[in-house]
Amino acid sequence: MKDIMGLIYTGENDARLRELTVTRAIAAMPVAGRYRVIDFLVSSMVNAGMKNIGVITQKNYHSLMDHLGSGKEWDLHGKNNGLHILPPFLTRENVGLYPGLLDALRSNSNFFVRSKQEVLVLSNSCIIYNARLDELVQFYQDTNADITLLYTKDPTMKRDEYGTYLQLDKSGNVTDMEVQPTHPGYDNVYMQVMVIKRELIKELVDKAVSHGQHSMDRDILLRLVQDRSAKVNAYEYKGKCWMIDSVQSYFKFNMDILDPKMRKGLFREDMPVFTKVRDEMPACYGDDATTVNSLVADGCQVDGTIENSILFRGVKIAAGAHVKNCIIMQDGQVHEGAYIENCILDKQAVIKRNSKLIGPEAYPIVIGKDVVI
Amino acid sequence: MLRKKTCVAMLLAGGQGSRLGVLTQKVAKPAIPYGGKYRIIDFPLSNCTNSGIDTVGVLTQYQPLELNAYIGSGAPWDLDISNGGVFVLPPYQKGKSGEWYRGTANAIYQNIAFIEQYNPDYVLILSGDHIYKMDYNAMLNYHIRHGADATIAVREVPWEEASRFGIMNTDSDDRIIEFEEKPKNPKSNKASMGVYIFTWSKLRQYLENDEGDKKSNNDFGKNIIPNMLADKQVLVAYSFNGYWKDVGTIESLWEANMDLLETPMPIDMHDKRWRIYAKNPGMAPHYIAKGATVHDTLITEGCEVYGNVEHSILFAGVIIEEGAKVESSVIMPGSVIKRGAVVQRAIVAMNGVVGPGAFVGEETGNIAVVGPGMTVPAGKHIPAGDQVDEAYDFDK
Repeated sequence: MKDIMGLIYTGENDARLRELTVTRAIAAMPVAGRYRVIDFLVSSMVNAGMKNIGVITQKNYHSLMDHLGSGKEWDLHGKNNGLHILPPFLTRENVGLYPGLLDALRSNSNFFVRSKQEVLVLSNSCIIYNARLDELVQFYQDTNADITLLYTKDPTMKRDEYGTYLQLDKSGNVTDMEVQPTHPGYDNVYMQVMVIKRELIKELVDKAVSHGQHSMDRDILLRLVQDRSAKVNAYEYKGKCWMIDSVQSYFKFNMDILDPKMRKGLFREDMPVFTKVRDEMPACYGDDATTVNSLVADGCQVDGTIENSILFRGVKIAAGAHVKNCIIMQDGQVHEGAYIENCILDKQAVIKRNSKLIGPEAYPIVIGKDVVI
Repeated sequence: MLRKKTCVAMLLAGGQGSRLGVLTQKVAKPAIPYGGKYRIIDFPLSNCTNSGIDTVGVLTQYQPLELNAYIGSGAPWDLDISNGGVFVLPPYQKGKSGEWYRGTANAIYQNIAFIEQYNPDYVLILSGDHIYKMDYNAMLNYHIRHGADATIAVREVPWEEASRFGIMNTDSDDRIIEFEEKPKNPKSNKASMGVYIFTWSKLRQYLENDEGDKKSNNDFGKNIIPNMLADKQVLVAYSFNGYWKDVGTIESLWEANMDLLETPMPIDMHDKRWRIYAKNPGMAPHYIAKGATVHDTLITEGCEVYGNVEHSILFAGVIIEEGAKVESSVIMPGSVIKRGAVVQRAIVAMNGVVGPGAFVGEETGNIAVVGPGMTVPAGKHIPAGDQVDEAYDFDK
């Protein structure tokens, strides 16, 4: 895997994540008690042996840069390779905001030129999974494909008016694609991960952008498939994956991993998920704590009741407080006698004494960062 | 040429810690897990970093593998820097001769060349035996202010225990006038903490003289300090009043862990300005299942709790199965307590397994220990005070 590099695009549409993405990209969303969405992807790449990884950032990338830092936690702080954060910059043809993935790739074509690796794994960052990307690349090489796409048959990944769906023949070649159909006709959901040669993507991107095109799926992949001008095939990811594209799907992912089976599939001993370390002491449980079906990170202090909930690092639940079906991000506090249900508390949110907040299960309440209620 | 350092720390980590029994059969004492996610050595290393001392030599000798692997590049303590950092210093061959570290002073003597690289003004001598948070920089300032040749950190211990320690008798200006190792009739209750700061040029001279003395034990407490006192050098005592706990025995290691469950915690582990750093195992947050009960307990990443846990410390990746009961115990990384097992007042060392329905420890009496990687078969009883190692007879 020495000859493979990774490139992650973090500019996805995040309108449906409400307040949660005001100050951060989806890739930087806190999940599962101590991670960010991007940790799973970067860790998969590192576990597959990739040592050169670029992260194209778009808006709100401060929290992402702060999180990834020098890449040390992923052992990506080498001399020649390592982790490269690629923020937008002004050029003659680019004013900073990329209209689409293709523009972002073109602006960062220097990264391809500079890197030594011939093959590129290109990925979006709003899907959480822990895949053997080395097997994906192996398939790409064994089948002599020009482009290999990663896909899943997981029905929960389907979205109306959103996403790209693949029709495949028996040997896995892509025979047709639907891009953002109103109702998807094919069951194979493209996971926005592709393997391609560095030279080829550069050529395709240049050609498309110079013709005023912005969409990777519609303007490049679909055309290649329809013209049969390149061998595009697909490799199935059989594990569980989650798309984080709305408050509901964000909530669902966090609740899903309370299930030990789901958790085992995502956090595998042979494929560890790395993240920035905060050096908190272990979580403390008080004499009267009641804990049911919950995931709790280091640095928490639990004296009240928590049920089906996820507590990030440094959260404090006071005696007599009751937390049910909630996600409480870093350093959140729930004071004495408060009751909250179906809520997502962003970082450092505080629920004061005896407050009561109950959200509907299908539409959890989001409490913004630093908000005190 | 390396840039000059004001102070270099030397951490004596070569002792076996034989009083920890089965726990130190295969690992050096400073590598023993403590407090849910730490090793003993995290405390002196974090203290160094937090005190602004960025060059640390760790002298190893006994069972160094685990300790070396743990220290690695020193990244967890921010000691992976290019000018300085953490260095593991085992004894090595020199020309035709080569020898083990014969004593604490000899260990430093054999590493004079290492220290000289940094041309320091002062050398801080530490041990890997205690749990404490201490600002070595404040002690260094004290040393400089007093124009001392050596400063020894002391802590007041209960008078009735004073005869177990190395006791410093001081005058009203904190100048040490006499040092007594385990005195029968102590004149003071200021016990040496084994933390010394020396003016390097002085120490070097005494180390060289001591090396020439064939009858010497090459020990700081027995030789270097008494010799300096005899020569009327300026030795001062630096009083430390914070939490300080020796973890040299099974009982004291267990007690030091249980101290973290006190309210308020006698050692503030939440202090953001003085964090204790540790190597991170990189596991998911811990999970408490429906039907589990957890009270008065510390739990860290990777644990899965399905049973009942009271007044205990669970390290990374510990699994407590349904119906298992853990009370007043320390369960070290990777251990599994199987269905229906009962663990009371016990230490289960790394990757230990307590089989289904087995009993380890008792409500009273000495602490029972399951050694690293040992399995207690289903239904067996391990009475209070027993230590399970490879030779243990489960049917006795």
